[in-house]
Amino acid sequence: MEEVVLIVAGVLAVGSALGVVLLPNAVYSALMLLLNLFSLATLFLLLHAQFMFAAQLLVYAGAILVLFLFVVTLLNPDGENILRDRRRLQQAGTISLGLFLVCLLVGALLFAFTSGPQPALASNVTVNNSTYGTVEEFGKALFTQFLLPFELTALVLLVALIGAVVLGKRR
Amino acid sequence: MTNITFTMLVSALIFTLGACGVLLRRNPLVQFMSIELMLNAVNLAFISFSGSLGTSEGQVFVLVVLTVAAAEAVVGLGIIVAMFRKRKRIDVDDIRSMEG
Repeated sequence: MEEVVLIVAGVLAVGSALGVVLLPNAVYSALMLLLNLFSLATLFLLLHAQFMFAAQLLVYAGAILVLFLFVVTLLNPDGENILRDRRRLQQAGTISLGLFLVCLLVGALLFAFTSGPQPALASNVTVNNSTYGTVEEFGKALFTQFLLPFELTALVLLVALIGAVVLGKRR
Repeated sequence: MTNITFTMLVSALIFTLGACGVLLRRNPLVQFMSIELMLNAVNLAFISFSGSLGTSEGQVFVLVVLTVAAAEAVVGLGIIVAMFRKRKRIDVDDIRSMEG
């Protein structure tokens, strides 16, 4: 059962990523991105990362995607059909680069994971009754060992806030 | 298929699609969505390895990536809106200078 959900979510994630790239209308691309985020959140849940599942839904689907949809509908850009694009050379280059990247990554993964022992999906998590992935465990790591990176994210958000105010200011 | 190879393959495919999207599309909004796809693919890889090793370090990385993605979306969309206000048209080929 878990395996079926895992495979369906993975296929859905790749298919919706294809939709983001290929669909002509930017609103449809944004909705496909939403589907992609939901399937990735499902994968996170299956990997026992409950906190990340919630964070993915809240931050990405709840905040970033709403911002995207807002800007897309505000600017209302013309649809672009990449099949009728005249820049054939650029497209051919992109597609060959994509194929090269796929061959490289998939080849490296298959080489790495078929030559040695295959790491199981969240194996240490289910056997010894551990607290992996819970908010408690994650918070403990975040506020003890990784306190400095956590503080730095606050700085990143502050910079983004100031940048957004400066960019949005009318002259 | 219940080992880490499956999620890593999904991650690699989504990353490649995002990279192709940035290069194929001329609309900066869709290019931003493709960048989000790439960031998400990396998040999936981090969480896969984190689950396989049973430690929380990967999830802390994902939290940092999430923050950077949010900051990047805010600033990027701000730039696109400012660009639209100036030219009434959004196409990445129109941008040749960084004048204010």
